[in-house]
Amino acid sequence: NLQNQLQGKVAEMENFAGHLEEIFLTVEENFGRQEQNLEQHYNEVLQTLSQRYDDGASALQEEKKKKLESLYAQLLLCGQALDRSKDLIETAQEVHRNQDRRLFLKVMKSFLSGFLINTRVQPVLLERTPLADLSDVKTMMDSINVVPAPSAPVINPQTPNSASQTSLRVCWSLFSDDTVEFYELYYRPVLEEPPADSSIPSPPVVRQRDSSSCPEAALIRWESGNANPVDSYTVELREAGSDGAAESMVAVPACQCLVQLQAGRRYLVSVRAVNIGGPSDRSDVITVSTTGTFFHLLEDTAHPCLSISEDGFSVFYGDEELPISAMALDDTTFTRCVAVLGDLIPVRGRHYWEVEVDEDTEFRVGVAYEDTERNSYLGTNRTSWCMRHIRTPSRHKYEFLHDGWSPDLRITVHPVRVGVALDYERGTLSFFNADLEQNLHTFHCRFQAYVLPCFSLDNPGALTVHNGSGAPEHVFAITFY
Amino acid sequence: MRHRARPSRRGRDSAIEKRLIRVAQGSAKSARRRLYLVLIMKHYLVTKKLLCVCRSKMALTQVSSNKCAGGFQKVFEHDSTELKCKMKFAVYLPPKAETDKCPVMYWLSGLTCTEQNFITKAGSQLAAAEHGIIVVAPDTSPRGCNIEGEDESWDFGAGAGFYVDATQDPWKSNYRMYSYITEELPKLIIANFPTNPDRMSICGHSMGGHGALICALKNPGKYKAVSAFAPICNPIQCPWGQKAFSGYLGPDKSTWEPYDATVLAASYSGPQLDILIDQGRDDQFLSAGQLLPDNLISTCSEKKIPVVFRLQPGYDHSYFFIYSFMNDHIKHHAKYLNA
Repeated sequence: NLQNQLQGKVAEMENFAGHLEEIFLTVEENFGRQEQNLEQHYNEVLQTLSQRYDDGASALQEEKKKKLESLYAQLLLCGQALDRSKDLIETAQEVHRNQDRRLFLKVMKSFLSGFLINTRVQPVLLERTPLADLSDVKTMMDSINVVPAPSAPVINPQTPNSASQTSLRVCWSLFSDDTVEFYELYYRPVLEEPPADSSIPSPPVVRQRDSSSCPEAALIRWESGNANPVDSYTVELREAGSDGAAESMVAVPACQCLVQLQAGRRYLVSVRAVNIGGPSDRSDVITVSTTGTFFHLLEDTAHPCLSISEDGFSVFYGDEELPISAMALDDTTFTRCVAVLGDLIPVRGRHYWEVEVDEDTEFRVGVAYEDTERNSYLGTNRTSWCMRHIRTPSRHKYEFLHDGWSPDLRITVHPVRVGVALDYERGTLSFFNADLEQNLHTFHCRFQAYVLPCFSLDNPGALTVHNGSGAPEHVFAITFY
Repeated sequence: MRHRARPSRRGRDSAIEKRLIRVAQGSAKSARRRLYLVLIMKHYLVTKKLLCVCRSKMALTQVSSNKCAGGFQKVFEHDSTELKCKMKFAVYLPPKAETDKCPVMYWLSGLTCTEQNFITKAGSQLAAAEHGIIVVAPDTSPRGCNIEGEDESWDFGAGAGFYVDATQDPWKSNYRMYSYITEELPKLIIANFPTNPDRMSICGHSMGGHGALICALKNPGKYKAVSAFAPICNPIQCPWGQKAFSGYLGPDKSTWEPYDATVLAASYSGPQLDILIDQGRDDQFLSAGQLLPDNLISTCSEKKIPVVFRLQPGYDHSYFFIYSFMNDHIKHHAKYLNA
């Protein structure tokens, strides 16, 4: 057992390492993509910037040319002015040489005022050019770190069992490329007026006999009760004897519903049919108990020679020969082995039931897959496991059959009450002498599908199935050989 | 109080005794007081003697200790009062024994074995550790007693104690394995190891299987579980049993019956048993008529003693067979020991 645990742990660790690897690869991928995005972004920004630079530069060049030209023009003017001034000075010198001082002064006065006016130089200012508009580059830089907005989630269609009278479960999916911080859920009640010509359906027919249960769950089955198809069913359940609110499962599409329950309680269950006109009246109420595993026998599977008692828990194999006409040509009934299957709830937990037999009853009890061969004997194929009791004049013989093979065992005290314990998790099917709490034999098998209890009588006799009380402590306390 | 030099222990005791006697005989005012004093004296003497005995005989010497499956596989030696020689036994202490009291499973080995075979070949330690059970495996007979002929056969004498209390010379002084297993050894284990005194079970192979069955049948309620591997079920009827019983118990067959599991089962009355027996189908001793399980099964069927007897195809009488099903047996014992 320790070895198995160790192996299990090693497998877990390998799994974990595999997951880590996956995560690492995904992170690497994401990083690669982010890198690419960033590079692209920055390239764009750089391009825009260089574009702006080019634009700005050419404008500046233009201005420089213009200013230089105006300066040159001014210089020319200055040069001309200087030339004129030179001429005037030579004229003045000449006049001065003429020795007419009065004429010289008059000429100088008009000459100077004209000179001053003509030689004013225009100052050349280099204006401050406005910076190019870089606001869009700024936006681009900012947008590099912004995560793109996610795409709209897709709401899944409503699943059955996802609503009660006061709550509703909504599921949706997101795209793997999106990064999401939170979701916002909006809802509003919708009131639709039913069309005038529709009528509400009749209540379904629920029978105690069609349900099965175990400590963790119950399987409720019913008949529609309506000739026309209905939209869905609503299953209502309430814990018996408590004032607690009823829970409802809405939108149940088929005529059965597997309900998770708490162990050791009793529940009252009823069903309504729902169509466009609204819900039907409540069906009859049945009681479901989560103490131990409870099931009825599947009468459809019973061999024609097997008769089932009123309460449905005892089977008899009578002496009389049945007429050939009674032999049904049904796919589900056993045709050779006088056997019947039980309606065990399909839950992979622990189940226990007992079978009461007489001293001399030759029986086979055990489990079988639902599709076990109806024309072969229990235990002789790979789809059934059973304990077989053979009565010889001198003694009792026991076989524990699967695939036609049995270990060689002697049991000294004949069990009249056989306990059968099925544990899906451990993969065991154990048989006990329930009165002595004595373990007889255990099959070890990882059941691939759900199994059903099977019971058969090899010779005329009777057996009674007892279930619905919890397993005695010794049954699941320890792993059996 | 008169002051005197402290006499020797013996002297002191007899002084106390004398005092008590004087008081009892002399100045006691009533007959009742005298009676009480006499009783006190008697109890005092008896307890003193017992304490002496216990102290000297409960001493264990550890021979070896190996860590195994999280616990310890140890071998001890002690002076046995029943067998009047030094005896070794193996004890497996599971991890649980470090903190809690554990139930005890006694394993009785078969012909020619010592305490070593079981601990090295049977593969019991992992399951014992998992279920928190102390496993005690004693030797199969007294050793080194210098009895003439004790080493002559492998199926009689040394290594073949047959778990009986011998009544014949020269065996009767030392060959008292039944009392050793049912009385002396349990007291020793309870005194020296963290045990639950009322949770013990017994199991064995071949001659040890015979031992386990008879111990359980002769002591109703003492053992919470019993199981056996290829046991000698009906020694009176098989060559091994006949040789051993005539040697240890003499020619009178009525003295053999109290040591025969099949006979004991026929007259068993006590708390319900749940016996698990594994038998190799290819066991040479089965085919040689030494084991005779059918006799036990039919008696148990008649007397409604619950037995599950499994015939294992392909398996022989060896420790390979024991190893293969040891887990199942320990789980069977654990079911009752840990209940």
